[in-house]
Amino acid sequence: MTEHVTAYLGAYHDGELQGWRLRQVEAHLAHCATCRAELERLRTLATLLQESPAAESLTPPERFVVQVGLRLPRRPVQTAWQRGLEIGWRTAPLGLLGAWAFVQTVFIVAGVVMIVLRMGLGGDVVAGLLPASQQGTWLAQALSLSEASLSDVGRIVLQLLSNGGPLGWGVTLNLGSLVVIGLLYWSWLASWVARTRISGQQRIRQ
Amino acid sequence: MSGHPAAEIEPELITKAQRGDRQAFGELVRRHRKGVINVVYRMCGDANLAEDAAQEAFIRAWQHLPGYRPRSPFRNWVYRIATNAALDVLRRERETMDVDTLPLASPYEGPEATVERCERGECVRQAVLALPPASRAVLVLREYEDLSYREIADTLAIPIGTVMSRLNYARNRLREALTPYLETL
Repeated sequence: MTEHVTAYLGAYHDGELQGWRLRQVEAHLAHCATCRAELERLRTLATLLQESPAAESLTPPERFVVQVGLRLPRRPVQTAWQRGLEIGWRTAPLGLLGAWAFVQTVFIVAGVVMIVLRMGLGGDVVAGLLPASQQGTWLAQALSLSEASLSDVGRIVLQLLSNGGPLGWGVTLNLGSLVVIGLLYWSWLASWVARTRISGQQRIRQ
Repeated sequence: MSGHPAAEIEPELITKAQRGDRQAFGELVRRHRKGVINVVYRMCGDANLAEDAAQEAFIRAWQHLPGYRPRSPFRNWVYRIATNAALDVLRRERETMDVDTLPLASPYEGPEATVERCERGECVRQAVLALPPASRAVLVLREYEDLSYREIADTLAIPIGTVMSRLNYARNRLREALTPYLETL
């Protein structure tokens, strides 16, 4: 004979057993009088508990509702503007992700355009975009005009600026935007943790 | 167009109440009043205390409603608050109550004497009240509110294994305390 299944009889009685455990208990009950008696005692106890009278309501339902209503403290009603702000805050990470995707797309497209231009392709397109007098010369002109009136250090700074720093405009702007997006995300994450902790403490007090 | 609160479905009422609509919350109170009073009554065993604790529970529910997320049913969420409110009321009462009037069975009293002293229902009520609060809460939600183990676990924020062990403990204690009645049924 298998071991008694006393530990699972409560769950069996409550209909909470499933799968092989349910089959195990049923198979055991089929031939174990001790466990069947135990199950019967559980059923009797449940009947006895149900016989215990429920609470007699001293206050009529409508009066109870009114009494609760009168005791409700004022709670600031959330306006449409506040709800919008809340939704905006919750979706901020998605916005940041979108901003990051946008920046990356812009740089990839710009990189492709630059490569195309350097290869001499699409010259006609560029020619159509800029007036003939300024094509390929406007930056050089600006630089030479400025260089005439600057010292050596000033010329180097101007040169670096015109190239976008030691790493070039593309990389600098890309890194800068990533740092800004990263800082914004970490700030959001910190405020989310703070909010979660506060609401957790409130839940414990409920 | 918004209809009468009584005709609205619960999620709509909850959303409105979360935005501060007292009428919608009143309808929620009307719908869950009986269940909450019953849970609290089974927990503290006194009808007057039960009504006070139930009102307290609904007020707490109103205060924390903006933070409620419909991951679990509203009923379970309110029952959780009600259980805690009942325990708070019991704690307060125990500090002021005369020891002789505590509705707990005396451990020195034999089963026969208990049978003589109590009506059957009263005896059951006292046996339930003599359980430790944690086990009593599980037993009340299972036996009187018919919550599943999963729902009880969610309501009381405990693992399902703990629900099972507390329920087994409560039933064993009750069987010992109510032996005379179990034999005559």
